[in-house]
Amino acid sequence: MTQSLVDRHDVELAALAAAGGRREFGELVRRHGSAVRGLLRRMGAQASLADDIAQDAFIQAFERCAEFRGEGTFAAWVKRIAARLYIKRVAKEARYVAEVENEDAAPATDHAGLVDLDEALKALSEPERLCVSLCHGAGMAHPEIAAALNLPLGTVKSHVKRGLDKLRARLQPPGQPLGSAQHVG
Amino acid sequence: MSADEFDPEIERLFARSPQLPDAALFTARVEQKLQKGSHIRFLALGLAGVIGGVVAVRETMSVNLGAGDGVVAGNALGQGIRSVSFNTQSAVQTGLDQLGLANLELGSMGGMQMFWIAAGALIAVAAAGVMKLSQDM
Repeated sequence: MTQSLVDRHDVELAALAAAGGRREFGELVRRHGSAVRGLLRRMGAQASLADDIAQDAFIQAFERCAEFRGEGTFAAWVKRIAARLYIKRVAKEARYVAEVENEDAAPATDHAGLVDLDEALKALSEPERLCVSLCHGAGMAHPEIAAALNLPLGTVKSHVKRGLDKLRARLQPPGQPLGSAQHVG
Repeated sequence: MSADEFDPEIERLFARSPQLPDAALFTARVEQKLQKGSHIRFLALGLAGVIGGVVAVRETMSVNLGAGDGVVAGNALGQGIRSVSFNTQSAVQTGLDQLGLANLELGSMGGMQMFWIAAGALIAVAAAGVMKLSQDM
C-alpha cells in the first residue's frame, strides 16, 4: 500500500522530490511555505516581494533537492536559500546600510497582552532587523551573516545585540516576564 | 530575564510560523511554476536534440569517410561505417519491399534526400514528444 504524502517525513519527501517528484515537493511547499514567507517578511521584505522570493527559493530548492542530506530540517534549509536570495536583492539596492530608526513604534503587545514578534521587529532599524532575522530566523552564524552582507563581523554582532535589546524592550510587557506572556509569533 | 535566557525565547518566537490565509494559493503557484519550468526545459532539450540530430545527420552525410588515404585507422573506420550503413540500408530496403514499396530504392537516393528523410524522422519524434507533453498538461 502506498504511503500518503501527508504521512511521509520531510527527508523522505525531499528524496522523492530529488528524483523529480513534483507532487512530493508540493507537499513540502504546503508544509513550509508560510514559514519561509514569514521569515522573509520578518527580514523586512514587503509581502509581495517576500512571496516572489519564497517562490524562487522553493524552485531553487527543488532543483537542488539532491543536495539536501537531512542534516538539518528541510524548513531551515529552504529558509537559508530564501534568506540568501533576499540578501542578494537588498544588496543590489544597498538597503541594509541604511539606518532607519523607528524608536517611536508602539509596544508590541496587543490589548490581550499577546507578544507579537512581527510588530516588535518594526521597532528595529533595517540592518538590525535583517541581522536578527538571519541569526535567529534563518539560523545563520554571525560570520556567515557578515560574509553574506559584506559587513565587518563586529558590525553584525552589534546589529544583532542592539536588535535583541530593542526586541527585549518591546516584547516584555511592563511588570510581566516575557516567558509568561502568550505568544502569537 | 537575562540576555542569555532571551535568545532561546526569540528563537522560539521565530520558529512559530505565521498562519497566512493564502497558503494554499502560494503552494499552487509554486507547483504551477515548477510544472511550467519543467515543460520549458523539456521543450528546450527536445529542440536542442532535434537541431543537434539534424546537424549530426547532415555532417555524417557530407563527410568523406574514405578521405585521408595514408591513414589506415581512418580507412578501417570508414569501411566499418560504410559496411554498417550498407547493412542498415539493406534491412530498411527489405522492410520497404515487404510493405510494397519496392520501387523506393534507398541506394539510389542522394545525400540530400537521405538528409531530409532523417530530418523528417527526427521532427516526427519531436512532434510525438510535444503531443505527449500536451497530453500531460
